[in-house]
Amino acid sequence: MAYSDKVLDHYQNPRNVGALDKNDPNVGTGVVGAPECGDVMKLQIRVDDSGKIVDAKFKTYGCGSAIASSSLATEWLKGTSVDAAEQIKNTQIVEELSLPPVKIHCSVLAEDAIKAAIEDWRQKRAARTDGAEVKA
Amino acid sequence: MIHVPAPDPFTVFGLPRSMDLDARTLERRYLQLSRECHPDQLRSQDVGDCLAVLQRAAEVNDAWKVLRDPWQRARALLEANAPGVLERNKKLDPAFLTEALDLAEEVAFATGAAVAPLRERLQQALADDLAVVAREIGRGAHDAAALRLHASHYHRKALQDLDQKA
Repeated sequence: MAYSDKVLDHYQNPRNVGALDKNDPNVGTGVVGAPECGDVMKLQIRVDDSGKIVDAKFKTYGCGSAIASSSLATEWLKGTSVDAAEQIKNTQIVEELSLPPVKIHCSVLAEDAIKAAIEDWRQKRAARTDGAEVKA
Repeated sequence: MIHVPAPDPFTVFGLPRSMDLDARTLERRYLQLSRECHPDQLRSQDVGDCLAVLQRAAEVNDAWKVLRDPWQRARALLEANAPGVLERNKKLDPAFLTEALDLAEEVAFATGAAVAPLRERLQQALADDLAVVAREIGRGAHDAAALRLHASHYHRKALQDLDQKA
């Protein structure tokens, strides 16, 4: 099985590799894994006050398709709104990267990571709002 | 050859579904079962009989491969006792996955004198995983056992990566 040119491009020149401060209240972190293949994907977003994703970083330990899926995801996330990011579907990743059926689970992992990062950010924001109410 | 779903390996060997199987008992049982379905023992000219014996021999060999390896034995035991339990418990704790990611990074950058102690740590982690899996199975905590079994993949993979570097 050959990787598509787009997968190879992301694999050889991954975009947005790195980490954001997970303790930053504006940062959401999602860590997901596919235990059967031993893959781990960490995806982080920084969200501004208007709900726009201003930065995204990832770190993935896994196959080329898993790395490409998360690299592509961070590209799509940067500059978009949280609401729009939530609508990203794994099938869009499959299409963009021409992933073969055996690698579809890599795109599912990327979608799960996006959702987990958003969920983490939402929880932090909710905790902050609660705190503000207590203070008021 | 027609594939018929095989009975679980414990049933094939006529042994209790347990992680505590004595290696010598297991091997004796394997040799005994192998003799029983050896082609030389077969006097029948009937094609159906021959196929049945062949099928039985294949089952015994497959069961032996599973039972002699404690990890495969644990998987088989979980699936026999609680079908679907491995599939249901694939969501690992994010804190554990973060550690697994750090570990993978450590393996990737480990050089020289750092390799040996890291290998020892990973081997210990795998031994701990197996002990916990066996303990959880022993007290009927199949979900917990399945989670730990999945977690062990990360330690195994890290160890393989480390050995490939050498």
